[in-house]
Amino acid sequence: MAGRPEIVEQRDWTGIAIKAFSPVVSVILAVLISSLIIWAFGKDPVAAFSALIRGSFGSMNYIGETFLSAVPLMFTGLAVAYGFRSGLFNIGAEGQLFMGGLAGAYLGVVLGGMSVFIALPAIIIAGALAGAAWAFIPAVLKARVGAHEVITTMMFGYIARYIVSWLVTGPLKAPGPIPQTDLIGAGAVLPRIVQVFPALQLGRAHMGLLIAVGCAALMWFILKYTTTGYESRAVGFNPLAAENGGISIASTTVKALCISGALAGLAGVVEVLGVQGRIFDTFSSGFGFTGIAVALLAKNNPIAVIPAAILFGALSAGSSLMQLEANVPIKVVSIIQGLIIFFVATEPFVSKWIARRRKEVTARAQ
Amino acid sequence: MLSDVLNPDLFASAIRVATPLALAAIGGTICERSGVVNIALEGMMLVGAFFGTAATLALQGTSIGPLAAVWIGLATAVATGALFSLIHAFASIDLRMEQVVSGTALNILALGLTGFLMESFYGHPGSTDAVRETLPQVFNFPVAAAGSGLLGTVWTWINTLLFSHSPIAYMAIAIAVIGQWALYRTRWGVRLRALGEHPRAADTVGINVRRGRYAAVVISGALAGLAGANLALEQVGTFTENMTNGRGFIALAANIFGRWTPVGSYLASLLFGFTDALQIKLQLVSSAIKVPPQFFLMLPYVLTVVVLAGVMGRAVAPAAVGKPYEKE
Repeated sequence: MAGRPEIVEQRDWTGIAIKAFSPVVSVILAVLISSLIIWAFGKDPVAAFSALIRGSFGSMNYIGETFLSAVPLMFTGLAVAYGFRSGLFNIGAEGQLFMGGLAGAYLGVVLGGMSVFIALPAIIIAGALAGAAWAFIPAVLKARVGAHEVITTMMFGYIARYIVSWLVTGPLKAPGPIPQTDLIGAGAVLPRIVQVFPALQLGRAHMGLLIAVGCAALMWFILKYTTTGYESRAVGFNPLAAENGGISIASTTVKALCISGALAGLAGVVEVLGVQGRIFDTFSSGFGFTGIAVALLAKNNPIAVIPAAILFGALSAGSSLMQLEANVPIKVVSIIQGLIIFFVATEPFVSKWIARRRKEVTARAQ
Repeated sequence: MLSDVLNPDLFASAIRVATPLALAAIGGTICERSGVVNIALEGMMLVGAFFGTAATLALQGTSIGPLAAVWIGLATAVATGALFSLIHAFASIDLRMEQVVSGTALNILALGLTGFLMESFYGHPGSTDAVRETLPQVFNFPVAAAGSGLLGTVWTWINTLLFSHSPIAYMAIAIAVIGQWALYRTRWGVRLRALGEHPRAADTVGINVRRGRYAAVVISGALAGLAGANLALEQVGTFTENMTNGRGFIALAANIFGRWTPVGSYLASLLFGFTDALQIKLQLVSSAIKVPPQFFLMLPYVLTVVVLAGVMGRAVAPAAVGKPYEKE
């Protein structure tokens, strides 16, 4: 810590309050607008959102489902947030997630006979490495020739999906008509929370939740207290200044995108070990893309990613009951997500506007 | 077997596949030349494709008939694409929002909105009904006009390559040429490029930065809408959820590969179109040559990465792209 300059911000309490509350206001606005859309189509928005809330927090079982959906979003949210903090937009987290899942599904079968205490950590680390490896090429291309990571990681996402699609229909296909891999062995299964803590009857929710929360804490620590984190933030904040200060943009970029990829890879491996037990074409319902929304809502703060992911997990868990009871298409969740990102992103403009207004008011008072 | 792959149809379908990419890529070119990044091309295409199809389906049973309906559908697609892009223009020009974030929000919104409206209008997810008539082929010359023999083969190639397309394919070529001319040979083009290179200088000499950028974003939305119409009303004949499937992003890559010029964007799209057409043809013979079809499906995406990796030399983006402009 000693002797290292910190990025200092001035304390402007109104500004801080706006920053803190803007996600809440954004969510409320998004709910209001989507209610209008639901209402315009002759459905009852109150019934819809009441079903959505009951379907996500109405019972221990539903809460478990919310956590189940939130865990991969925590990882991908952290992945995207780490990229953003370093000035990189990892839009292809979905592809790294597929590679992490693939590593998990393959090693889960191979090492599944071993003891949980050896197999689980080994496979989870392998999943993270697979995600990092998949981010490595776009990272090097960005650092060496400036190929924009938005396009390269996106393309690597498609390539990853086709690789998985090929493996589950061909070389790694389990016997039977369905294109999927074999079920992982007992030693590779991530236990449910209720199996470890019998008092918490959280249904299918698994211990991946704990790993995700641990990763959030770790990322917070890395960003705040390590050289790697400091360099990432410095490059994200002002690359030219960082380079003048002796930080290599190229190596920081590669490191940051690989860390981001590793987090996305964890999303995949944990989903395979904790929920699906195998990999198939459609094992991710766009977790990588929803992770972008999570990161933006959390303003790239790793701790804030946890509640943001729970909110989006709740949206996805509760949407089935909403469709069932209020007959509102599940797709409304995407509308809410898009609106939330949009409103959160208007925050700098709104705070500037408020600051200007306040200056005008004080000027007039004098 | 070679003639199953290398035939006039391969090149004709390369042009077909290239058309929506090229339209979106030229939209991206114009938008980025004005200094605004548009990663929402994907969403704008989707919106255009959906509303174009919905308008066609609504009107085809009325007295105007299915052919007039599909033309109105095309106009609707262009208009809704442009309208949707206004959100991006407002966010990135007036609110000075991070442009990539606004684009991402719009892409997610477009996916949700089109899916939601589809279920609300038609009662089921997946695809809409097929439109009764797609946009018709422009020319209809007899295939066997030149008889058989060498002359016949030459005619087949010319007819398939040049005269077998539907209207939007020709529009795309025209738009590429006109766009190139407009960007480099007109006052409008010089001004537009100035906005993307040095908006402060442009502002100083009296060019309205805000208006110029609005116009560019809306043009890109209209072109993306036209690209959507091409997919839904010309190629497929229905709207399917997420039918753009990453084309907006490939279009952005084509724009970069084409060095931010309309004709360059078209030619780059043609290369992607060719890879994709080849991929489809190769799939047909994939069991014979024992290569899994997924490897062919990957080709366009691999090519995009290879292209961006700078095999063709490094391209330079407009200097002020992505930076909001604030009047002093």
